[in-house]
Amino acid sequence: MTAKTAAKVTAQRVTASSKELLVPGSKAWKDVAETAVALSPTPLDAQPSAYVRASWADRPHGKTGTVNVSAVVADDALFIRLRWETADPRQSISDNNVYADACAVLFPADGKGAELATMGDEKRPVQAWHWRAGTALPFVVTATGLGTTERAKAHPVSVGAAWEGGSWSVAFRRDLGGKGVPLAAGASVPIGLAVWQGANNERAGIKSHTPDWLTLELPK
Amino acid sequence: MATASPKPARQLVMVFDLNKCLGCQSCSIACKTLWTDAPGMEAMWWNIVNTMPGEGTPRDVFSHGGGYRDGQPVPGVFPPLAQFGEAWDFDHEATFGSNGKAAFHPLQHDGTSPEWGPNWDEDMGGGVYPHSYFFYLQQICANCSKPACLEACPRTALYRREEDGIILIDEERCHGYRFCAEACPYKRIYFNSNRAIAQKCISCYPRLEAGVAPACVRQCPGRVRHVDYMENKEGHAYKLVHKWKVALPLRPDFGTEPNVFYVPPLAPYAFNEAGEFDETRSRIPEGYLEQMFGPGVEQALATIQAEREKSARGEPSELMDILIARDWNDLLGPFTENPADLDRQPRKG
Repeated sequence: MTAKTAAKVTAQRVTASSKELLVPGSKAWKDVAETAVALSPTPLDAQPSAYVRASWADRPHGKTGTVNVSAVVADDALFIRLRWETADPRQSISDNNVYADACAVLFPADGKGAELATMGDEKRPVQAWHWRAGTALPFVVTATGLGTTERAKAHPVSVGAAWEGGSWSVAFRRDLGGKGVPLAAGASVPIGLAVWQGANNERAGIKSHTPDWLTLELPK
Repeated sequence: MATASPKPARQLVMVFDLNKCLGCQSCSIACKTLWTDAPGMEAMWWNIVNTMPGEGTPRDVFSHGGGYRDGQPVPGVFPPLAQFGEAWDFDHEATFGSNGKAAFHPLQHDGTSPEWGPNWDEDMGGGVYPHSYFFYLQQICANCSKPACLEACPRTALYRREEDGIILIDEERCHGYRFCAEACPYKRIYFNSNRAIAQKCISCYPRLEAGVAPACVRQCPGRVRHVDYMENKEGHAYKLVHKWKVALPLRPDFGTEPNVFYVPPLAPYAFNEAGEFDETRSRIPEGYLEQMFGPGVEQALATIQAEREKSARGEPSELMDILIARDWNDLLGPFTENPADLDRQPRKG
């Protein structure tokens, strides 16, 4: 199956409850358009640690080739759902050498622009909603460059996740007016996506990602 | 970032005398009760003592990669918990109420019998009787001068203290990636399953700041451990490492420049085929100690042997005085405060 690189993800307005939409396999998502987005491995030579570069030099990373994205606005909130294939899931960090499956949606912190390849910089930070299997709440992180992510102590983002039939579905929710990235009606917000395959020991910068920004179009 | 962390103002150093360790594990228990008794830390032994030859902790301890070769980081693995040994469950109720009918049997969390634990191969040692030999090897974080752990972390969650060279994990910065645990060639980094962060020996730095020696040093009944700053040229550490050259790094081939040193163990003579002592050979096979402690071991053993003989003849020996440590406080460097004398707040909760 060839996935087309999508530049745009359009969020539809729907009528549904947050409770329903936070169940990513629920009926509420059934008729929502999905966009297949191609992912590529992060460039190994950009990893900040010589150890990481050396230990991943001879094995593939960023094994997830495609993620399916859909977005809706309902209940005064933005919901973004990611769905990707994981044949061999890791539902939690269950041992020293076990890494949980994870995904993230990245935004410029100001909702307008930032450097994606470096995960932001001092002048233009980025903010991400980061889900890791086995945690009830997602992390919301801010970064000003590779390796600088700081987790917010409190944040308004929630998440629902399920693994079924060989795929993870993860739905993030945030109040449109909530603290964090500005998400105004009618706005075009750059977003980046990332997926980690736990079975491949992926974590940190070892992941699949969108090498270029997509645009999330919010309804007016 | 592979931070070139700056050279510290002083370097905390320890020396362990392998001729004296009884394997009593007082050090291990001192550390355990002080630091690793919180949820998620049950299986942690920041200080371990294993019988050598033996598998160590985790099993096959020095075969999991990490460290450096020719200046380049060597990929490593972080073995699963079963290789370190789980903290076993014991059903006290079942045994002590059973009138001897129920055995006191350890269980792993999945209800199965353990097949390994830290110190499982205690006292097995090497060689076949009467050629058997072993010694105890203690390990803590060695605060390496070229710390593979610190340099492995892509988010600089590890740092080196400027005042004493102690390497610490910043628990706020750590996101549990465990590259550090892979990179440590001695496998002294653990993972806290509750908090999803890496943790390791902290050299008892809060005690050091109060002038109190690390718990493992202070609790040792065998007077095995010496602690000081290497810069103190009158101290035990400097003299054992640089003046007498009897204190050696463990596996120097890992390239991390550890700051914990070992006085290698003398051994009885080997037996020849007639069952008599062969005074030309040690019962510890040639090459084994060199593999562990590097090329300085032969000279170190010769020095210790010579100084022992001097002492036996009644002649003074600074080396023997240092190693015997008739005044226990001499082992503690500048950290001679008694924690019982400190004015401190009681622990809450």
